[in-house]
Formats: sequence, C-alpha cells, structure tokens
Amino acid sequence: MAILEVRQLNYVYSAGTPYEKAALRDVSFSVEKGDIVGVIGHTGSGKSTLMQQLNGLLTPMSGQVLLDGRDIWENPKKIRDIRFRVGMVFQYPEYQLFEETVRRDIAFGPRNMGLSEEEIERRVRRAATFAGLREELLEVSPFDLSGGQKRRAAIAGVMAMEPEVLVLDEPTAGLDPRGREQLLSRIVRYARENGTTVLLVSHSMEDVAAVADKVLVMNKGEVAMMAPTAEVFSRAEELQAMGLTVPAVTQIFMKLRDSGYAVGENAYTVEQAVRRLLPLIKGGAAGC
Amino acid sequence: MLKDITIGQFFPGNSLLHRLDPRVKIVLTIAFIAAVFVPKTWAGLLLAMAFSVMAVALSRLPFALIWKSIKPILPIVLITALLSVFYVREEGDPLFSWWIITVYKKGIFNAVFLASRIVCLIVGSSLLTYTTEPTTLTDALERLMKPLRLIRVPVHDLAMMMTIALRFIPTLIEETDKIMSAQKARGADLESGNLMQRIRALMPIMIPLFASSFRRAYELATAMECRCYNGGEGRTRMKSYRMAARDYVALVLTAMLIAGMIVLNVFLPNVI
Repeated sequence: MAILEVRQLNYVYSAGTPYEKAALRDVSFSVEKGDIVGVIGHTGSGKSTLMQQLNGLLTPMSGQVLLDGRDIWENPKKIRDIRFRVGMVFQYPEYQLFEETVRRDIAFGPRNMGLSEEEIERRVRRAATFAGLREELLEVSPFDLSGGQKRRAAIAGVMAMEPEVLVLDEPTAGLDPRGREQLLSRIVRYARENGTTVLLVSHSMEDVAAVADKVLVMNKGEVAMMAPTAEVFSRAEELQAMGLTVPAVTQIFMKLRDSGYAVGENAYTVEQAVRRLLPLIKGGAAGC
Repeated sequence: MLKDITIGQFFPGNSLLHRLDPRVKIVLTIAFIAAVFVPKTWAGLLLAMAFSVMAVALSRLPFALIWKSIKPILPIVLITALLSVFYVREEGDPLFSWWIITVYKKGIFNAVFLASRIVCLIVGSSLLTYTTEPTTLTDALERLMKPLRLIRVPVHDLAMMMTIALRFIPTLIEETDKIMSAQKARGADLESGNLMQRIRALMPIMIPLFASSFRRAYELATAMECRCYNGGEGRTRMKSYRMAARDYVALVLTAMLIAGMIVLNVFLPNVI
C-alpha cells in the first residue's frame, strides 16, 4: 500500500481577495514506501505549497492527504504527531538553528516528541552520524559551524525525529558540487537504511537523476507527470515546454542521436553515459 | 497567516492627493492636525469636518479603507468622549444629575468636539500615509528637516535608517513566517501552555530571527560600502521635488481654513 497518497488536493492563496491565486489544482498522486521521489517544477508551480500540505503546515481547501491510509486531518488536534511522522527540511534550513549546542538543536524535534532522555541521545547520535557530523562538533554552538556543517546539522535535526516520510526542499541549494554530491549520498544512505520514504524538491535535474527512483513533475499547480525517472527524462520536449530541462548528459545524448550516432537509449546520469559511450568510442565511431 | 498583514499603509493611486508634493503633504498634515484644535464654534467644527471629507474625496480612496483606519480607535474615542462629559463643571443648572454624576450641556458639547477632533485627526494623518509611499515620505521628511543639520542633528542618517527599516519589514515578516513553519515542522508548540511556556516557545523563533537580522545588516552594510556609500555628504538625489500650482493652492486653502476657524471663534459665540 502507498505510504503517502494525495487525493484531489486543491489550495488557493489569499482566498476571497482580489489577489486570489490557485496554487494547487486537483493534485493526486501516491508514493510507495521506501521510494525516493524527485519533485521538479518551474518556480511557482506549486511544489513548495504541495510539500507544506504533506505535513499539515497548510490546510487543504478540498481533497485529502493520506498517510498510511489515514487522512492527516482526521484529528486536527493531533496534527503535531503527523509532523513528527512526515519530517520536513525547508530551504536553507541552517537559518532555523537556535540552540546553544548542536546536540541540543538536533534534540529539539525528538524532545518535542516527548521521548526519554536515553532515546533522545540515541537518536541525536544516529542522526549526527548519518549527517556526517563528528562527535566533537555536537558540543559546539551551531553558529560556529561552517556553512555546509550548519546545513547538515539542520537536516540531522529532522532526521532525528526518524520520520516515515522525509521531505527535503532544495537541500543542496548553495552548496559546492562536492558538498552536493556528499549530502545527497548521505540522504540516500539514511533513507535506504531506515526504509524512509523521501520527497526531494530540486531545481537541479542532475540531483534528481542521481538519486530519484521516481519523479513528480508539477506544472502550474497540477501534476504533469509522475513516473519512474528514466521515463520522465525521456519526455524531454514536454519538460522543456514547461520551462524545465533534462540533465546535461541527456541533452548530449539527444544531440548525438539527432546527429545520427547509435547511442541507444537516453542516459540521465554521468555513470550511465560513460557505460553507454565507452564501448562505442573503443569500437570506433559507430554509425558515422 | 503573517503574510496577510499589510505594512506600510500606502494605497497606490493617481489622485490629486497622491500627486501633491510630499513635503507639502507633510506640512499640511501637521497644520491640519493643529487646526482641528482651533475651532470653538459649531461652524468651525463643521468646517474642519467638511475639509476632511473634501480631502478624502480628493484622494479617491475607497471609503472602506478610511473606515478601516478609524474603526480600531473608535472605542478609545468613545470612552474618552464619555469620560470628558463628567469632567466639565459649569455655572447654572445641570442637565442631569444622579448620585455623583452631574452632566452639563457644556460637557456634552465638549465630548462631541473631542470625538470629532480625534476622528478628523486620524483621517488627516492616515490620508498622508495612504497617499504617500513610505520611502517618499522619509525622503520628504529628510528634506524638511534639513535645517536641523545646523544644530548637528544627523538628518540624513536618521532618514536612511528609517528607509532601511521600512524596506526590511516585509522581508522580516516573510522570514518569521518561514522560521515559524520550520520550527512547527519540528514539533514546536506555539499555541498552548501558560505565559512562561509560551515565552519560552518563542525562543526557537526569536533567536534565528535575530541571527538573520544581524546577518542581513552586515550584508547590507558591505553592499552599501561597495557602492561607496559614505553618508549624506555630497550626495545628490535622483528625484528632485518641484512645487506645482496644486501645491500652492493646497497650502493657501489650508491657511484659509485655519484663518476661517479663528475668525469664527472671534465672531460667533463659543460653545466650549
């Protein structure tokens, strides 16, 4: 059964005023447990609004969000419990650090859950390890960390709640290529080891191609596509019509094929491209 | 949600009032505020009200907007007016007397005058903010206060501080909104608990907010220095204001209003 299901979700900003703007229109999709789903869409396509619906930060105007088959708004008083089960990492999460030490900051979520001190300690350590924060950093003030460390500390704060679904909004924004790659692989490792379902909002097609099993494409508040990554990136023209792109390697492959090279199927990560191209190059310029 | 708060009451438009020189508008508003305290006659008070109504009409602002600025202070106005009724003692018979409460005719007049004056005052000052962009307003204030530089008041710096403060209000609101969402996502409980618990619950929001304000302040300071900002010395302006016919008309009209009120005070029987 799908862990997360969104049914006919509608949301309008500033309802009842002249500035009324539909942010989500009849959005429906479902996510299987353990999947890593990339969420892409042009700026203003409703991605962020949709993500905030998933943990009840915004209330749907109509439609439902089902977590494990149950409406998250079934009991509005218990919405806080939903937020522990659907962890949300906002864009630039380092700006929400506030505690005296990194340890206490990571413990903020688990402490709000009312867990025992031992359990909190266990979770803080685990989350810090997944986020790649060394033991001694836990006693430092979060304001003394480097930019990348701050980002990882903030993500650890959400991981420590051990949510069933982890939503990350542009987790790699502003990081250098190496930082991006490392952070993404840490997230993937965390997800695979804990069986966590991940929704990863990103502007970077390369990031999505590298980690996502499936891709959800949002366009003008509607779901444009929800399909396995390979399938989504094979529909390059449609994506381009929505103001999106495909990964750079995929573009190269498309160009190669257009020029008559028998490169076969599209590749969307550099590794795939290498695997596909190397034999061709070694075997001479085929199809020329 | 916090986003729904509108700060800076400016309401865009192209009416006569919008187009008046902002310096003139400030002077007129101050003059008008002083003027509403002049009349002691019914005719004078009516004149003040008529002037307010005329100004509102000239601004072409929706009446609902004016009402919005009056509504919140209406209770205060009514209570003040009501209290002032009992404070007036007069020779002659009271209108009404019971226990320690004695009401005279003059007391009632007094209350009516007080209430109308406050309402006129609010209408006048909110018209200023409704029809003038906040940045224009500070710009005009800076120019009006220029003479104060002679007594070493850092006029330019004060105006720049005001402009920056105004500029960052929406940014900080947005920022607060984001931080609140992020902490709520980590289970921060902002809605329940006693006073102390609620104050403590604000820390996860206040600390990041302060941190980011400092960060923004440093960034802005650096950006300003990079563009060679070094205070008001030798700084020229992109916009220069020139008084137009309408500005002189407005000035004369307001002067006439005040003069008229004084004349009425002299020639008609004063009621308060």
